[in-house]
Amino acid sequence: MRARRVNVPGLVVIAGLAAVWEMAVRSGAIEFDYLPAPSAIVGGGWALIASGDLFVEAAHTLYAVWLGWMLAVAIGSGLGLLLGLSSAARTYLQASLELLRPLPAIAFLPVALLIFNFSLTTELVVIVYAATWPVFMNTMGGVMAVASRLHDVARTLRLTRAQAVANIVLPAALPAIVVGCRLSLGLSLVMAIIAEMLGNPHGLGHAIMSELQAMQPERMFAYVIIVGILAIVLNAGLRRVGAYLLRGHPPEVAEHV
Amino acid sequence: MSSGRPGRLSDLPPLRGMLPLLVLLGTWQIFGPERSAYFPRPDTWWSALAAASHAGRLGPALIATLATFGISLCVACMAGAALGLLLGRVPAARRALDPLLEFCRGLPPPVIVPVAVLLLGYAQGLKLLVVVWVGVWPILLNVAAAAGAVEPLLLDVARTFHFGRGATLAKIVLPAVLPAFLLGVRIALPLSIIVTLLVEMVTMLPGIGSLIVSAQREYRSAEVYGLLGLIGVIGFCLNSVFVLIEGTILRRFPPLAHKSG
Amino acid sequence: MRGHGRGSENVFECRGLGLEIPHRGTTRTIVKDLSLDVRRGEFFSIVGASGTGKTSLVRLLGGLMRATCGSLVCHGVTVDGPPPDVVVVFQDYSRALLQWRCVAANVALGLEGRVSAGETERRVTEALQLVGLDGHGRDYPWQLSGGMQQRVQIARALALRPQVLLMDEPFAALDAMTKASLQDEMLRIHDRTGASFVFITHDIEEAIYLGDRVAVLGGPPGQIYTTVPIDLPRPREQVATRQMPTFLAYRAQIHAAIGDARSG
Repeated sequence: MRARRVNVPGLVVIAGLAAVWEMAVRSGAIEFDYLPAPSAIVGGGWALIASGDLFVEAAHTLYAVWLGWMLAVAIGSGLGLLLGLSSAARTYLQASLELLRPLPAIAFLPVALLIFNFSLTTELVVIVYAATWPVFMNTMGGVMAVASRLHDVARTLRLTRAQAVANIVLPAALPAIVVGCRLSLGLSLVMAIIAEMLGNPHGLGHAIMSELQAMQPERMFAYVIIVGILAIVLNAGLRRVGAYLLRGHPPEVAEHV
Repeated sequence: MSSGRPGRLSDLPPLRGMLPLLVLLGTWQIFGPERSAYFPRPDTWWSALAAASHAGRLGPALIATLATFGISLCVACMAGAALGLLLGRVPAARRALDPLLEFCRGLPPPVIVPVAVLLLGYAQGLKLLVVVWVGVWPILLNVAAAAGAVEPLLLDVARTFHFGRGATLAKIVLPAVLPAFLLGVRIALPLSIIVTLLVEMVTMLPGIGSLIVSAQREYRSAEVYGLLGLIGVIGFCLNSVFVLIEGTILRRFPPLAHKSG
Repeated sequence: MRGHGRGSENVFECRGLGLEIPHRGTTRTIVKDLSLDVRRGEFFSIVGASGTGKTSLVRLLGGLMRATCGSLVCHGVTVDGPPPDVVVVFQDYSRALLQWRCVAANVALGLEGRVSAGETERRVTEALQLVGLDGHGRDYPWQLSGGMQQRVQIARALALRPQVLLMDEPFAALDAMTKASLQDEMLRIHDRTGASFVFITHDIEEAIYLGDRVAVLGGPPGQIYTTVPIDLPRPREQVATRQMPTFLAYRAQIHAAIGDARSG
């Protein structure tokens, strides 16, 4: 692992910005009625933790994200593997998928609401539809890139189809698959929040909207920042896991994951 | 999905691949119930859309959404390119601002909406601001990275030929960052569509997003599906237009591996 | 208008040139006490092993780097930034060309805004003819082979009608046959244009074959160890000239000089 130099100028900028913000609000220089000072936001965040609200809401969101992401990874990698390995499958499926791909998942939310009403299922439908694409695209791409190169190797060693896939194709496509899963996780969080803001009245998304309607800016901003931190933590966490999974691969590959 | 030059007609997947989709819609059409709150038949979608259009709901909503999307994307492109170039040429500034910019980029878009609503209230300007915010980061960060990585040998060539700052910028830096800029736009495009719809859905400001939400709340399910299809068509068209433009511009650049997704 | 190194005015005069760069807390001396003269119209070869500061010397002469001490004068004027009428041809041709412009537009790069459109077109055509690339004006660099790309870079330099061409190991990345044909083209161009050439290389035979004089660069730190006048007949020929006894003698002499420069 490369040594991480602490980005001092970066930290200074962030700290400086927070300080300016604090002073601007306190002195009344900024005219936003509902812009709380950083100190107030911290206070609001603390109240959320103390009352336990934060954990309840976060738990729901994380549960939905986890479930949706797992499903997306399963479906996406399965589909990606199928289309990556079988040109027949590609011929008869790819155009349909290409038509569906530009369809924003958010447009499915009203449809899901029609059918499943305000429920976890609605949330999951939206998450899974959106999050499947990165996994699928990257898996298919990764498998196709490998299959052509190492096809001859498998034939020379007289491996069966299953052996070739398990021992050559999947490990070589793993970096691409891992990238797809990581993108998918971030997307799952985004879609979960969206679904909670509009569809399923639980979780962090819903909490933000109710704090908005209740005119509680400190608590709302606290939730917002927590969501931001969550996004960073999930991304960084999956990066670590990816680096571990790819520990046998050359460094340039593992770092870009 | 295809390696080599983007935007070529030969890259289109075989048309037979449309079969599953057509079969699905066809089966639905034939076996679907005449009237259903949950799964209305595809032919009802079209008539529902026509009805909405006649009632004067569809046209203005479509214009509002497309206008928001178009203007915001243009502003995001210009601001992202300009700021990215500035930032890219001053490495110290880039290093200092990088954590802040990455945080802004990583902040999930849905969360921006309530913040903007709180600060600015429900105004049309809100829509533009939010979509610009979301779209500017991928462009800015991509351009900044490329501007900081311009081939040093080319900068030497510029000095050898006694180019002034303006000539160096126009002849060397700008063409060099063009591929990165287009990559940023490629990311920002679907993001902008999604966030435009999202803002409309959350705030119920005029647009396709609010139209589809009100249709859903009033159980006009055929209209919901029809609008879903419409959004899909819009998304597909915008994407295709972009791919064509990108391919034309990048035709003179050396072929790069075409990354998708 | 041909000069064979007997011009009265010196194109370059270096006296005691030194270059130090900061390196991990201390300074590293790249070039130390380097002195050389390049006469007008001559083909001046500089030969040195890797690590002797060849590229740094090119950058110093080309005004892309400033020396830390010593004097460097070009056409009687102290060098401060790229001197007028001097053009550098770099070794890494693919990175030195604008890959998004066609060949003709690349060759015209230095002329844009300085010379009328008609004149630009004339000079571009002329330059492409000089390097044997006429007909390739509409191609893109990435469609061409290495040798052709390098010729595009040379054409770009020639279009400016420079008085001096500074060439930094221009043929090092090319195969032997392309190298040979390009060497002969350089000699032809030198003959036709009468420009002064400063040609840096690690290839001893190339330096002798092309040059009127060969300077041996020793080091590190880089210094001119000795300069050998080459008294071989022109026009030179790949096979005949390289077999002449005087050629072989020069080769032995310079080979020995490089060995001495390394140990001395």
